[in-house]
Amino acid sequence: MGILAWKNLFYDRVRLIVTLTGIVFALVLIAIQFGMFLGFLDTAANIVENNSADLWISAPGIPHVNGGSPIQEAKRWKALQVPGVTHTANFSIFFVNWKLPNGAFETCQIAGFDLDSGMGGPWNLVAGRVEDLRGEDTVIIDDLYKRKLGVHNIGETLEINGKRARIVGFTHGIRSFTTAPYVFTSFKNAQNYIPMREEETIFILLRTAAGADRNAIKTGLLATIPGIEVFTRDEILSRTRNYWVFGTGAGTTTLMGAMLGLLVGIVVVAQTIYAATIDHLKEFGTLKAMGATNGQIYQVIILQSTLAAVMGYVLGISVALAIVHSTADTDLLIKLPWPVALGIFGLTLFMCMSASLLSIRKATTIDPAMVFRG
Amino acid sequence: MQPLVSVSHLVKEYGSGANRFRALNDVSLDIHAGQVLVLMGPSGSGKTTLISVLGGILSATSGSVRIDGREIVGMSESQRPALRRDLFGFIFQGFNLFPALTAEENVAIMCKLKHVPQPARAAANLLESVGLADKRNAYPADLSGGQKQRVSIARALAGHPRILLADEPTAALDSVSGRKVLEILSGLARQNNRAVVIVTHDPRVLDYCDRIVTIEDGRVGSDELRRHIRPTPGDIA
Ligand SMILES: Nc1ncnc2c1ncn2[C@@H]1O[C@H](COP(=O)(O)OP(=O)(O)O)[C@@H](O)[C@H]1O
Ligand SMILES: [Mg+2]
Repeated sequence: MGILAWKNLFYDRVRLIVTLTGIVFALVLIAIQFGMFLGFLDTAANIVENNSADLWISAPGIPHVNGGSPIQEAKRWKALQVPGVTHTANFSIFFVNWKLPNGAFETCQIAGFDLDSGMGGPWNLVAGRVEDLRGEDTVIIDDLYKRKLGVHNIGETLEINGKRARIVGFTHGIRSFTTAPYVFTSFKNAQNYIPMREEETIFILLRTAAGADRNAIKTGLLATIPGIEVFTRDEILSRTRNYWVFGTGAGTTTLMGAMLGLLVGIVVVAQTIYAATIDHLKEFGTLKAMGATNGQIYQVIILQSTLAAVMGYVLGISVALAIVHSTADTDLLIKLPWPVALGIFGLTLFMCMSASLLSIRKATTIDPAMVFRG
Repeated sequence: MQPLVSVSHLVKEYGSGANRFRALNDVSLDIHAGQVLVLMGPSGSGKTTLISVLGGILSATSGSVRIDGREIVGMSESQRPALRRDLFGFIFQGFNLFPALTAEENVAIMCKLKHVPQPARAAANLLESVGLADKRNAYPADLSGGQKQRVSIARALAGHPRILLADEPTAALDSVSGRKVLEILSGLARQNNRAVVIVTHDPRVLDYCDRIVTIEDGRVGSDELRRHIRPTPGDIA
C-alpha cells in the first residue's frame, strides 16, 4: 500500500507542488512569526535579564524598565540598613537624543551603570573594554546599530543631548525592543546626558545576602523607605516583558500570524489532499472491491499526507532557517531554537493529519459498486 | 457434486419507498467449478447487479447465495472485504488499473493485499502467464487496451481466487485483443478448478464458454450448456 501512496503523490506533480507550497508557506509563516515572538520576549527585557541585581528600587508605578522617573539617590543609604542587603548601586535608563554626523537626530537610551559593582553593564563585548568607560564622556554601543547611529569605529566622537560622547567599545546583539538603541556609559557620565539633578537616580539596584528571603527584604525596604516601588528581578522582568510584548500588541500580532499560518496550512493541505482523494476515488473503490478494508484505504491517505508533511517540513524549515540566518545581523531578532523546530515538525504532521480527516470521511463512503461503471 | 456458487430465490432492490426498484427478481442459479459461464442480456437487465451480489460487493435484499457452502446473504459489512479478498478476482470493463504504478506493481499490490508471499516475484509470474513478461515495467498509459486488460486479469489472479468475475471485459477492446482476453479467461477456468463468470454482449465469447445464461428484467431467461472449442494451453500466451 505504501507504494501506492508514494507513487500517487508524485503522479500528480502539479498537485504535489501546490500541496508543498501550501505547507512551506504555512511553515515559514509559523516559524518566522513565532520566532519573532520569541525574539520579542528576549529583546523586550534583555536589559533586565542580563543585570545581576537581585532587587530593584524605582519610583512608584513605573510601567516598565524603560519608563522610570528620578528618585533621590540618598535612598540607597537607607536601603543598605535593611537586613539582608549587601550592595547597592545606582542605575539609569533614560531616552536621550543622539546627534548624527549629518546633523539629524536619533533617539537612543542611556544605560548608566555603576562600574564598581558592574550591575547593569554591557555584555557580549566584541571591541574595547568595560573599564574604558571610566574615562570622561565615554560610551559603548552595539555594533548592530552602527549605521543607525552613524558610527564606524572606536574613538569617534558624537553628541548626546548636546554633550560630547566618545565611542570606546562595541557589543554584539544587544537589541532594543523600541527603535532606540541602548548606549552604555558610567552612571557618572550618564548624569551629564540625562536631564536629572545631581542627587537623583532612576533605579537603585540591590544585591542581597546569599540565601536571604528576598520577599522579606522587599517588605523591609517598603517599610523603611517611603515613596518607592521594589521589584524582584522576576517582577521587573515580567512587567517589562508584558508591557512591550503584550501591552503593545506586538506579541499578540506575531502569535496571531503564527496561528494564521497554521490555518492557511490546514486549509491548503486539506483542499489538495481532499482533491487528490476525489481524483483517486475509483482506485480506492477498486482496492475496496478487491478486498481492501477501510483501514487499509485510510493507511494510504494518511501515508500520503505524512509523506507530504515530511517533504514540506524539510523544504519549509530550510527556508525558515535561511530567513533566520539572513536576519542574524539586523536589529530584528528571530529565534528558531531546535525544540521549536521540532515542535513545528509535530505541528506539520498535525496539520497534514487533520487535513486528511476530511478525505478519510469521503473514503469511508466509497461505494465499491462504482468500480463496474464504465 | 456440490456447486461452487449456489444462488436461490435471490432478490435485489435498489432505493426505498416510491423509488424502490427491483433489479433482480427471484434468480436461482448454480455455478460449478471448472465452468466458464457467460451472462448475456440487454442493457439494464441486472447482469452487473448479479455479479456484484455474487462477489460480495452489494448486499442482497433476500434469498440465498452460498459460496462453497457458506451463506453470504446477510453477512456483515465488516466481513465482506475478507470474503472478496479470499474468494474472488474481479475484472472490469474499464480495467481500473492504478495509473501511477507499473504493470508489475499493479499486480504486486494485489498480491500484498492477499498476503501472497514474495509479491513482486508472484506478480512477475502472473504477468508472464498472461503473456506480458516484457511489459513488467510499463505504465498503464503506455499499454494497449488488450494489454491493460491482461494486466488486470493478472491482478485478478493474485492469490489464485476460486472465482473470477468479469464485467464486459472485452467491451473496450478491438476484436483481436478481445479474442485473446477471452481465450485467457476461459483457459483459467480449467486451471485450479475455477469458476469464471463473464458478463458480455460479445458473440465471440460463444466459442469459449461452457454455458450461457441470459438475464431479462432481473430474471433468468434461458440457461443452456454449449459445446465449444477449448483452446489448448499453448494458445493462452
Ligand atoms: N445504484 C443503483 N440505484 C438504483 N438503480 C440501479 C442502481 N444500479 C443499477 N440500477 C438499476 O438496476 C437495473 C439493472 O442494472 P445493471 O445491473 O447495471 O444492469 P446491466 O449490467 O445488465 O446493464 C437498471 O435498470 C439500473 O438502472
Ligand atoms: Mg452492466
